[in-house]
This record gives sequence, structure tokens and C-alpha cells, in this order.
Amino acid sequence: MNELPLAGVRIADFGWIFAVPHTTSWLGALGADVIRIESPKRPDLVRFLGATDGTPGINRSGLFHSINFSKRSIALDLTTRGGAEVARRLVARSDIVFENFGAGVMTRFGLNYDNLRAVKPDIIMMSGTPLGQTGPLAGAIGYGPNSLGFSGISHLTGYPGGEPCGIGGTWPDFVVGVVMVMGALAALHYRDRTGEGQYIDLSIAEMVTGMLPEAMMDFFLNGREHGRIGNRDPDLAPHGAFPAAGDDRWLAIVTVSDAEFASLCEVLGAPAMASEARFGTMAARLENVDALEREIGALTRQFDRDQLVALLRARGLAAGPMYNTAEIMADPAMVESGMNVELDHKEVGRRLIPTLPVTFSGFKPNYYGGPAIGEHTEEVLTGLLGYSSEEIARLRIEGGVL
Amino acid sequence: MDNTNQGPAALDDLKVVELPMLDAMPFFAASMAGKTMAELGAEVIKIEPPRIGAQDRRFGPCGQSGPASETRALHLFLDCNKLSVTLDIQQQRGHELLMRILEGADVLFNPNPPALCERLGLGWRTLCDRFPRLVVVSTTFFGTASRYRDFRGGDLVATQMSGVGYETPFNQVVDPPNNPPLKAAERQADYMTGYTAAAAAMVAVEGRKRSGKGQHIDVSQWLAMVSTIRINVGELSHDSPRAGMHRRLFVRRKTNAGWIYPCRDGYITFRSSPGNFWDGAVRMLGNPEWAKEPIFATETERLKNSDALDAMLTGWFMEYTKEEIFQRAQAQGVPCFPVYDVREVAENRQYQARDFFQQCDHPVAGHFKMPGAPYRMGRTPAAVRRPAPRLGEHNAMILGERLGISRAELGTLQAQGVI
Repeated sequence: MNELPLAGVRIADFGWIFAVPHTTSWLGALGADVIRIESPKRPDLVRFLGATDGTPGINRSGLFHSINFSKRSIALDLTTRGGAEVARRLVARSDIVFENFGAGVMTRFGLNYDNLRAVKPDIIMMSGTPLGQTGPLAGAIGYGPNSLGFSGISHLTGYPGGEPCGIGGTWPDFVVGVVMVMGALAALHYRDRTGEGQYIDLSIAEMVTGMLPEAMMDFFLNGREHGRIGNRDPDLAPHGAFPAAGDDRWLAIVTVSDAEFASLCEVLGAPAMASEARFGTMAARLENVDALEREIGALTRQFDRDQLVALLRARGLAAGPMYNTAEIMADPAMVESGMNVELDHKEVGRRLIPTLPVTFSGFKPNYYGGPAIGEHTEEVLTGLLGYSSEEIARLRIEGGVL
Repeated sequence: MDNTNQGPAALDDLKVVELPMLDAMPFFAASMAGKTMAELGAEVIKIEPPRIGAQDRRFGPCGQSGPASETRALHLFLDCNKLSVTLDIQQQRGHELLMRILEGADVLFNPNPPALCERLGLGWRTLCDRFPRLVVVSTTFFGTASRYRDFRGGDLVATQMSGVGYETPFNQVVDPPNNPPLKAAERQADYMTGYTAAAAAMVAVEGRKRSGKGQHIDVSQWLAMVSTIRINVGELSHDSPRAGMHRRLFVRRKTNAGWIYPCRDGYITFRSSPGNFWDGAVRMLGNPEWAKEPIFATETERLKNSDALDAMLTGWFMEYTKEEIFQRAQAQGVPCFPVYDVREVAENRQYQARDFFQQCDHPVAGHFKMPGAPYRMGRTPAAVRRPAPRLGEHNAMILGERLGISRAELGTLQAQGVI
């Protein structure tokens, strides 16, 4: 059964930090041969974040391993002629190239789309930058959370009356990851049919703005400018995070009808609340949402979080606990989901790695632990690219291969 | 009409069917997945409940130039490039017609709860058996095999159960008992799930070229959101001392990683412990004397004295506008962007130079702009090929012309409320 869907596809991965490494781990797990190009002279800074057991080292980052499974690593210095030439020979044997350096960096290496198309006419190349490859701000430097500010989502995220906010999980980097999978596979599908490759330019800020259709369209249709509404919903109330007993314990509750609100009131031991004029209809609850949230919060505070979630779910209501990372990992449904898989790593041993959030009935993805830096340099240069050991030795002396 | 972009399209050989969410909980993952394929040229038939239409027509803001069901922002955006066929798939005849539509389809997106699908004869095993080449994508709150499969979720629940809510606002929690964990604006968990579903569907389409077979893909909104906090999971499982940093109660001043600062006319995004960017930041600030003091001499010292640093930074930021700070920071290679409000997003010169907002002409909603695709494909660009369809606009085309149902029978079906 286990024919992997991307077997035979090769990826030259010039990515770093979060977004592209996540993209290529997806593709590697699905059978693509992903070869990540790294430089120990200018390593991915993620290799130094979150050291295993607190012991520093370039191959010891748990953070790196969690987004770099199922791929190989070669070490090149792309600022040298020899290193860039090895990279071009790799691209000549590849189907898709990914990179997320600042705009213009691949050109400096002689590795922009036109250069690469010269060595592989049907190559697909995808770049991810904060603001895109063209326009007056193409070269702007920023991390994912900077792009959030530019996109409008920070302005729209936050407590009513509060300041604009950043979003957890280094949003939007891992959204970019799957969006890049989508775009690259669409291009691969087109190439399979026509023999034509292409260049794909992803602007992270644009992607995030494209996830704000209500605010953007309301502005364009009606000239209305949205602000911050916290956890609320314009059409539904209650729709929020409410406190439970204990320190910093919260649960999400959403009701979509008057009947569901009545069920909620019953569970909370305040059935009369459902027939109060100020809360009796959805329109009234939206009108009096401050009071509504205050009253519900005073009641939920009396309950244990998980017990209340169970009671609400038993009544068919939408509810869920606010989890921190440790609680997520301990949730029985998470354990059973198989999303977190123990993988072996050369230096740090067997560790739990979060893999794809998706299950395929037709195959099992191929998960293996992340590479040490340059772990596969020899094997890729000799086995795949046809370099002799003498040539590799010379490239090492010249500094192109590290 | 400007809706004439008919250049080459990446997916114009694919036929996609998108089912409506029949539960009352708003859930737009399947709709976003369908949109993502439609804008690249796939034929996407959106099945809608007769009369009321899909959820896209029932939630969120609407325009004023026609009935709400035809001018909702979500509908105009998410359903752009799709075809609309009304079908009551809970009736026997509606189910039969859906099966006939699926005979020619490559991909099905189904957002409905597993138990309801079983009841309606739309369980994935049934569909995969009947249509061996079909890629059946379930986009559900918790996954079709989860012990939580029958629980209701949605954008807010998935955000809070995934750990994203726990970290939002990001390093800005100043008063934990009065700062509930927060969701991001609009319906990010739905859209993240939709993109995940579209990407996974393309994986299966690729696999089908080799195997000749379709398959089922199980996409869980909860797990899709957890996948965005994967680095926290990695740190925890590697016993990293940093794992403790992902604690809501570490307020901004303790984590030294504020991201949002006030300035004279609004806010900017800037990392208060800029690491390698410190030298550039000092040049941006105009080489002030205070920056040379020993308490700011090294990254370790700066982290230790972040309150003092924050105060000095904020004092400087308040003297300048966000555009001035943005220019000065970028000139020194320091990561710093303005925080734009909606009008500034709509009118900024970068998006305008790139034509990010696409013009759309709709027979009811009129002329308006909307956000473009998340990426620019050089050869096969995403495009507005047709505006969002009116409810049931393509009944005659799909049910009549393609399936060969007579006009008389279509009338009967309409009278029976099937279409």
C-alpha cells in the first residue's frame, strides 16, 4: 500500500527559519527527496533555539527538529563560486526550489529564477518574503510577526479598547508552510500536464490580508472600518473565553441559537437567565454582550474547567478548554491521533515530533528525524550529483563545500 | 465587465465539489479550500441548501445593493469563481443527484460532522467505495476517527484548544485574570484548516497519477491549529529550558520580546531585544548617549534591563510617526513594520504597486475590490474568472445540460424543494 504520492519528486530547499522548513518537511514526509542547503558559516538561527536538555550545540535544537523532519542536509557556502555551482547542479536534478531569504539574496548567489531556469528549463521556484518580490518595499526586512502588523490582522486582533496584538504560535509562519505546499503542488500539476515550470512569489503580508475578508470587503463595499472585538463574533453571543475555578483556567463557549443559550443557562444552574428580556434573543444578547459575558463569567468561575466542558459537550454545545502545550500533549485524543511521532535523532536520541495534522487513507507518510548540519553532503554530492571524492576534497579546500 | 481573465490556469482540468455545512455552527474551512482551487482554475461546484444557501450567505457583513444573501462579504470573497447548484442532499432525490455530480468529480470537500455524514449516506468509506478515483476530503472540527468526533468545535474552540489562544496576545498579557486568552481576528482557524485541506487534496491528486486511485483525507481543525504551535511541542519534548517561555503568565516585560509599541500616530512592530540587530537599532535611534550605557552593552544586559530599555525606546518611538520609524528602521536593516489599520492596508503603496486587491464586477453587489490570492504564480496566475454565483445560478447548466435532466423535471424538483 505504501506508494508515497511524491516519490520521485526532488526538492532543493534553500529555506530557513520557520516557514519553508515546515513546507519541505510536509513534502519530504509525502515521499519527495528533500535536500536542504545549509551553511555552518551562516547557520539557520533556529539551530540554536531550544537546546535539548539545555545543552547547546548546532544539532541539538528541539525547535529545529520539530520543523525539519524527513529531509537531508548538505553544507555549502553559496557566497563562493564553487558552492553556488554545486547548488546549480542540484537544481538541475530537482523539480521544485524553495527559498525565503530577503528579496535579492538569491540573485547575489547567482541562483535567481532566470539562472536556475537556464540549468533546468522546467524548474518550479517558490519564494516567500514579508512583502513580496516586487513593489517599492520589496526588500523590506521583517519576521512573521512584523508582517502581521502590515497585513491588518494585528490592528483587528485584541481586546475591545485595548492595543493591537501579535498572535500566538509565531503566526503566520506555519500557515505560510501549508500555503506553499498548495502553491507548489498546483505548479507541479501544471508542469506534469504542459512541461512548463514557473516562478511563484508569496508575500506573507498579502497572504494574511487575504485571511481578513470581512474587514477588507466591508471597507471596499461600505467604507466601514473594523476594529478590535476580542473573542466576540458579530453574529453570535455568547462567543468567548470564560474563566473557570483556579488560577488562569479558561474555557471557550459558543452558542448559535436561543435554544443552545437556554441549555447553557441550565448547565450553569441559572435557567431563568435564558428568559430575561436582555438575554432572551440573539439580538438582545448581542446588544447586551458586556453584561452577558459578566454574568456568564461569574457562573463559570464556580466550575472546574474540564468538568464544565464535559457537561456542555454532553448537551451538544460547542465548548473547549484553553490548553497550554503540556495539556495539549496529554489530551487522550491528541495521543490517539498519532500526530506526534517518536523519531530518532543522531545526537539527541528519540523524541516526540509533531508531524502532519492530516491522515491519508491511501498511505502512511515517511517520517524520519531531522538532519545534523551537512550530514548528507558526501552522499548527495557523490551519489546524486556525480562528484568524485577528489573534486569534493578540492571544493572543501576552496571553501565551497563545508 | 472586467471578469475576463482567461490566461492559462494550473488546475483547469480538475473538477471539485464542495458540500455545505449543515450544522448551525459557522465553519468555512471547506469553502476556503474550494476557493483556493477555484482561483487556480478548477471547476468548483458549491452545493447549497435550497432557499437559504450556504453559510457564506448568512454570516458576517453584507453590501447594500441587493439582498443580503447575494451581497455577504464572505460569499463574495469565498465563492468567487465557483458554480452554485442548490440541492437538498438530505432528501433521497437530492442525494441521488449529488451522486451523479460526483461521478465526474476529482475532489470532494465535506465539512459535515461524521455522524451526520453516515446518516446521509455520505460517510467517506461509502464514497471511496463508490467512486474509486475520487479524493474525499473531510474537514471536521476534530477528525472523523477522533474520540471527539461528535463534539462541536469551530474557530474559537480550536483556537483555545490548540495553544494559539494561550499565546495570544503574543507577549502582551499584562493582567492575566482580566486578559482572557484571545483568538485572532475573523476566522483564522477555519482558513488555516481550509488551506491545509487544499494542500492535502493536491497531494492526493498527485498520488493518483501514480496509483490511479483516490483516497480519503481526514483534516482536523484542531490538529491543523496545533500544527502551528509545533515549535512549542518540539521544545517541550526535547526538555528545552525555553519550553517554560511559552507561558501566558510571563508578561511582556519579563519575556523581553514585546512586538508592538506605540508611536506618535499609532503602533509599530519591533522586537525589543533585537539580538543581531542592536547595532542597526542604535543607528536608527540616532546614536543616543543612553544606548552606550553599560546596562545596554550586551544582549544579556539588555534583557536584564528591559524595563529601562523599553522606556527609552517608547520615548523615542512617541516622537515619530509609524512611517518615519519604518523608513528609518529599514534603512538600517532592522526588522520593523508599521501596524496598519484597515484603510491603510487598503491604500498602502506596496499592495497598490502589486495590484494585490482585485477588481470584481458582480451583477447584484456591483463593482468592488477584494484581496487577491496568497501567492503570485508567474505562468498560471490566480484570477477572478467569474464573480461569486447567485444562489442556484448553475442549476440549469449542471443539472440540466450536464446531467440531462429535463426542464419539466427541474420544475418539479424545485416545487418539491429539492433544488
